[in-house]
Amino acid sequence: MISFILADLRRLWLGAAVMILLVALATALGVTVTLQERALRLGSARAADRFDLVVSAAGSETQLVLSSVFLQPSPLPLMPGDVLAKLNADPRVAWAAPVGFGDSFLGHPIVGTTTKLITGTTTGFSAGAVFAHEGEAVVGAGVDLPVGAEVKPMHGTAETGGETHKEIAYRVVGKLKPTGTPWDRAILVPVQAVWHLHGLGAHDDHDDDHDHADTAGAANAPAEPEHHDEHDHHHGHVDADAPVNEAFTQEAPGLPAILVKPKTIADAYRLRQEYRSGSTLAVFPGEVLTKLYATLGDAKFVLAAVSAGSQVLVAAALLLVSLIHVGQRRRQIGALRAFGAPRTAVFSIVWSELFGLVALGIGLGFALGYTGARFIGTAFTTQTGVILPVEFAMEDWRMASALLLLAALFAAIPALLAYRQSPAQALRA
Amino acid sequence: MTSLIVEGVRLSVPDMAVPVLNVDHLMIGSGAHVAITGGSGSGKSSLLNVLSGLERPTAGRVVWEAVDIAALSESGRDRWRAEHVGLVMQDFHLFPGLSALENVLLPAKLARVASEALKQRAGELLVKVGLSRPDQHVETMSRGEMQRVAIARALLREPGIIVADEPTASLDAESGEAVANLLLSIAVETGCTLLVASHDPRLVERMKRRIAMRAGEIVSDTVDAESSA
Ligand SMILES: Nc1ncnc2c1ncn2[C@@H]1O[C@H](COP(=O)(O)OP(=O)(O)OP(=O)(O)O)[C@@H](O)[C@H]1O
Ligand SMILES: [Mg+2]
Repeated sequence: MISFILADLRRLWLGAAVMILLVALATALGVTVTLQERALRLGSARAADRFDLVVSAAGSETQLVLSSVFLQPSPLPLMPGDVLAKLNADPRVAWAAPVGFGDSFLGHPIVGTTTKLITGTTTGFSAGAVFAHEGEAVVGAGVDLPVGAEVKPMHGTAETGGETHKEIAYRVVGKLKPTGTPWDRAILVPVQAVWHLHGLGAHDDHDDDHDHADTAGAANAPAEPEHHDEHDHHHGHVDADAPVNEAFTQEAPGLPAILVKPKTIADAYRLRQEYRSGSTLAVFPGEVLTKLYATLGDAKFVLAAVSAGSQVLVAAALLLVSLIHVGQRRRQIGALRAFGAPRTAVFSIVWSELFGLVALGIGLGFALGYTGARFIGTAFTTQTGVILPVEFAMEDWRMASALLLLAALFAAIPALLAYRQSPAQALRA
Repeated sequence: MTSLIVEGVRLSVPDMAVPVLNVDHLMIGSGAHVAITGGSGSGKSSLLNVLSGLERPTAGRVVWEAVDIAALSESGRDRWRAEHVGLVMQDFHLFPGLSALENVLLPAKLARVASEALKQRAGELLVKVGLSRPDQHVETMSRGEMQRVAIARALLREPGIIVADEPTASLDAESGEAVANLLLSIAVETGCTLLVASHDPRLVERMKRRIAMRAGEIVSDTVDAESSA
């Protein structure tokens, strides 16, 4: 029987190939959508995992999460520096670390922060150690710079027409192990260096109106070109050899965001409650993401509907083709029986031929869909640093089984038609 | 080998008032060589289909050696036919993409009865019908060769009955003659009952008994004087 089916398929290889391809593409579409959507959800949730509570000036929650967790350059409003001191003094807080954005180097965001944040959110160093001086930097695993390399910060990003700060070149002293988050792509420097570079902070002697919006913007996202000139006047001096000072006082400059590690979950909720009122905003990034997914849920539904629709179309087309095919081969099928093949063999031949093709298509579709999702995931990781865990879950195997079962039932329709055909009638035709 | 008694057989088709086959009584002795003649549409194929169990008559009995195949189920008739009848058709019905040998063995394989002995027999049968290349793909063969493959296939399971519906009609005179010779010599050699529907005088004249049909009924039934089939 196998040899007969194979001979049959060899003769009809083109049609069979097109059929397999159609099934494979329709399946791949569905698989890619499912895998990619899940990977995006898991990957971003994992990226947000290390960030328990983020506090910023009142503004957009989504914006805050995008900037702090995903390091997307966007202008965040600043909050007064005393918030940091207050949080650090709070007994419910394990640690609170400032996060200052705005500069970049070779497309990598430079983030001003503290050693506490680095030890608290990463899994250790693959080379070197944490910074100890104002002119030192730590790079994420995704930054292609060795220990000892020089980092010349550029204000804003190259795409937005930033200019290079000439006052300082950081020296890389440590490289972190991969975390699978956008922070892998970041260059971490002492926050005080960022402040000083932009003419802010306690050491600054010609500018202390750190709450001033224009100045504050410097420690933040790229501003419009005319602002650049203005910043230049405020640029302070940096002492690369000054030891890192992480005792933040009431006098600390304005900050775009503070990452807070509460001691307990109850503390986390209380802190969020407290810092949500008035001029500050406090969010659980994971929760913001969940809300975001709820909004994106509709998009997922549309994609899922499109792929399901394509699968239904392909199934219908296949059924039609196979019914026509069986109709065209009535004589052959009739002859098989006339010469002594049992009806069950006729049924099996038609069924296995069709089911084999569809099953092969489904298998190929899963492989193709997985490859596609991996491909998108890799591209996404290169771009954002978020590692998308593209992997099959139990429900995928359930879906594959359901598809195969459906294919088995579908294949039975033309097979039954062939089974019921009278050999005498078929031979007359 | 196998004798036949037909009684009160009618075959009606949905869109025709008169039955396409109406045979009140017919007896064929074991090992007889019978030609069935008649104009186109006279019911030759219908009769052979009923006798070989391809079609179930609307009424009547078709008793081969004590088995009334008209009373068997569809699958039962398939099984019975596979064991007792070797079919040869005008249009060969070989399967392209398979070799001569594979074609001979295909029905037996599908019925899961292809033993080693049967496989060997298939090769021998191909030699017997005059084919020297069992591995040749059938679509590359001449029509005469194709019909020989079909005859070898019909003989594989040593049927007691050979039913041939216009076996020479699609062949030229020479191949037709060869096929006719082959069928007759095999029938004589194996002693099996041979039923042949044909327009071909060269084949018809060589059969001992000739049944003529018109409009689904037997109109004459002659037996050659020198024999008593
Ligand atoms: N399933 C059917 N539906 C309608 N008519 C049928 C059917 N089967 C047979 N017939 C009719 O029965 C008659 C006898 O057909 P049959 O094929 O037995 O003739 P035949 O003698 O074999 O003719 P030919 O020499 O052309 O092969 C024809 O008129 C045919 O149209
Ligand atoms: Mg006919």
